[in-house]
Amino acid sequence: MSSFSLFARAGVALLSCACAAQAHAQPPEPAVPLADFSLEQLSDIVVSSVSRQDEPLGRAAASVYVIQGAEIARSGATTLPEALRLAPNLQVARIDTGAYAISARGFLSSLSNKLLVMIDGRSVYSPLFSGVFWEMQDVALEDVERIEVISGPGGTAWGTNAVNGVINIITRSAADTHGGYAAAHAGAAGKGASVRYGGQLDGGAHWRAYARGQDIDALDGDVARLGSGGLRRQQAGFRVDWDAEATDVTVSGDVHDGRQRARGVQTRTDTSGANLLGRIEHRIDARQSVRLQAWLDHSRRDQSGIGAQRLDTVDLEAQHLLRLDRHALTWGAGYRHSRDRIDNGPLLRFTPAHRSLRWSHLFVQDEVNLAQDVRASAGVRVEHNVYTGSEVLPSLRLAWDVDERAMLWAALSRTVRAPSRIDRDFYVIDPLRPDAFLVGGGLDAVAETARVAELGYRAQPTPALSWSATVFYTDFERLRTLERAADDQAPPATYVLASLGKGALRGVEVWANWQAARGWRLHAGAVLQDVDVGREPASRDNTGLSFLAGNDPRLTWSVRSAHDLGPRLRADLALRYVAGLPQAALPSYHELDARLAWQVHPDLEIALVGRNLLHPRHAEFGTAGSRQLIERTVFASAVLRF
Amino acid sequence: MTIIQPDCPQRRLACRALALPLMLAGVGAPLLPLAAQAAAPALERRVKAAFLYKFLGYAEFPPQSFADAATPLSIGVVGADDMAAELTRIATGRMVAGRTIAVRALREQDLEQPVHLLFVAGEDAARTARLLRASPAWLTVTECEGCLQHGSVINFTIVDERVRFDVSLDAAEKKNVKLSSRLLTVANRVQKGAS
Repeated sequence: MSSFSLFARAGVALLSCACAAQAHAQPPEPAVPLADFSLEQLSDIVVSSVSRQDEPLGRAAASVYVIQGAEIARSGATTLPEALRLAPNLQVARIDTGAYAISARGFLSSLSNKLLVMIDGRSVYSPLFSGVFWEMQDVALEDVERIEVISGPGGTAWGTNAVNGVINIITRSAADTHGGYAAAHAGAAGKGASVRYGGQLDGGAHWRAYARGQDIDALDGDVARLGSGGLRRQQAGFRVDWDAEATDVTVSGDVHDGRQRARGVQTRTDTSGANLLGRIEHRIDARQSVRLQAWLDHSRRDQSGIGAQRLDTVDLEAQHLLRLDRHALTWGAGYRHSRDRIDNGPLLRFTPAHRSLRWSHLFVQDEVNLAQDVRASAGVRVEHNVYTGSEVLPSLRLAWDVDERAMLWAALSRTVRAPSRIDRDFYVIDPLRPDAFLVGGGLDAVAETARVAELGYRAQPTPALSWSATVFYTDFERLRTLERAADDQAPPATYVLASLGKGALRGVEVWANWQAARGWRLHAGAVLQDVDVGREPASRDNTGLSFLAGNDPRLTWSVRSAHDLGPRLRADLALRYVAGLPQAALPSYHELDARLAWQVHPDLEIALVGRNLLHPRHAEFGTAGSRQLIERTVFASAVLRF
Repeated sequence: MTIIQPDCPQRRLACRALALPLMLAGVGAPLLPLAAQAAAPALERRVKAAFLYKFLGYAEFPPQSFADAATPLSIGVVGADDMAAELTRIATGRMVAGRTIAVRALREQDLEQPVHLLFVAGEDAARTARLLRASPAWLTVTECEGCLQHGSVINFTIVDERVRFDVSLDAAEKKNVKLSSRLLTVANRVQKGAS
């Protein structure tokens, strides 16, 4: 009897453990007991992932990984790019103090140009090179609700920059950030502090304002004296949300300012900027809603001795969602106008130095239930740009709910990267022949196109375990190449930019989450990919396709553990592996991040964070001789809510 | 409804072992809509339970509601034994305003017991109204649409997939319960006057 009783108890313990784990598996994972949450924090817990307007991400027929705000807090990341390491479907490589190469599905480069990045619906890519100056992007990470990372084409929904992926950073509504928050961290490699306060105005509108500052210490190069200088930046901003009966209004804005000191051959860089965004969402009736959004952005980047750019952008967008019996129809239009002004340096030139760029688009997408468990979504976007005229971006997606715990999906898309300033207007003066160019623009450059096929499976075989796998194939045409210029090129130039590259990308992305026990969650993810680029027969590129600039690890994987050691003690470990990069023979590396946090009081948390603990220093990107070495660092942090 | 016989711990454990997987089947399924729908209640219940505990700290009960300085704050829960269990877990070892917390899972016939905070689970407004009338509780909390009209002081709603709550100041005044302004700031809506 007693052995039976023991057995029964063990069984019950296991079951209740598993059940508790299920209850915990819902994001965001409570890092402290719910009873220790503030009223505001309790009001902020999403208790259902079934959203009214946006398609719930779990149903999306795409390869989506969602980084939850709570995951960012537990990772100890202090910058946006470091937080992006949480997404298994992204490659993140730190280049120097503030610069990163970030990409999904190949073409990893400091000029990565096939990934669209948005912060609360505002695109932060630079039309100078269709990429992101990561050192200029700072976000109040404590106010991030989630970051949706979509690997694969998003052109139909997001436009001509979303060739290989979309990063969608979504901050919390001001209604969810009442009260005060102050955080600081300091350690061997830098320090930072941020403060935020929010509340409700008499009229019912919610508001918050924040300010943050950060100092990131200089890095040493692999060759003595060729390091990169320390980065210091400040940012402040606000957000107001007003929810009336059928209308939600959001207004937000930020100002930022930063500088990276000169070091080695790197010159000093000064950056600054400001933006303002307004959005209105109105529910017309149970079946229809409209969304209007407008934003302004100003940015300045001045790299001493290289050049300076000022950029002003205005963007307008309207969307209408209509639900019919079996259809959900979304259509909309948008217009963006950018004006830049470049002060050219002695060697690099953008000609013309002033340019107005305009993009306009129309799109329509219909999601239809073909059968009870089969959904199809078809859409097309026509986007017009000043360089190549109209581009067409269609996509077709199918999803089949195999059962209530598994979904199979497939997608076919065609997507386009329209030329940016660097593809057409970029000139490099030949230091040996001042009257001639080393690179003489790219008058013949056209849009790069990608045709993509994807097949994915997502399942949750047990309540505590979920996983996702995607296989993909992309056929690229008209990739950018650096061609030997014709002899009669005017003005004389050695090379010109053209679109005579082609390529194929194939690979698989997998990740899984497992709630191993109550308060212990494991995550694993891996990407295996093969990027194969080549030239059209007409190409005279003899630079080894260096300007295609894909330098991709064949394999990356990561394993994370989030463990609640007790009601007030939490330990997080993250191990990652990045295979060697083929160009410049950068060796593979393993690295480990760790964080130990103690909830001293419901409103006060202190933590000790170690990053890159396995090696004193390692390189993640760049050619030998100019690589920056990222050091092992340990820092302490404290968070106070009031 | 599983009938729990407290005098038989083995059977109680076995019952719980059987009931839990049924109750929680599909919990924590952010990826799958069906599972996610099934999952929502569990987390929602836990968040609501945490709210109930927090409410005690933001309410001031009249002195006559306590027999003496050692009288615990009492919470009664009708129609949600899972929440009563969760609240018992929360209350263990915690104090509010220097008092311990006693949690009781109440049946409809037990409603006459005086409690400081009464939570009536369920979306049936008529039933909730009837139970509210039957109870002498000071602070009443409900979770049905329009239940503030039936005399509850705080009513949970789901707004944007989050648990929020509306407050009726008139009902609080009638019950002689003072609510802190901090609670009212976080409330989704505060009703006052004829509304």
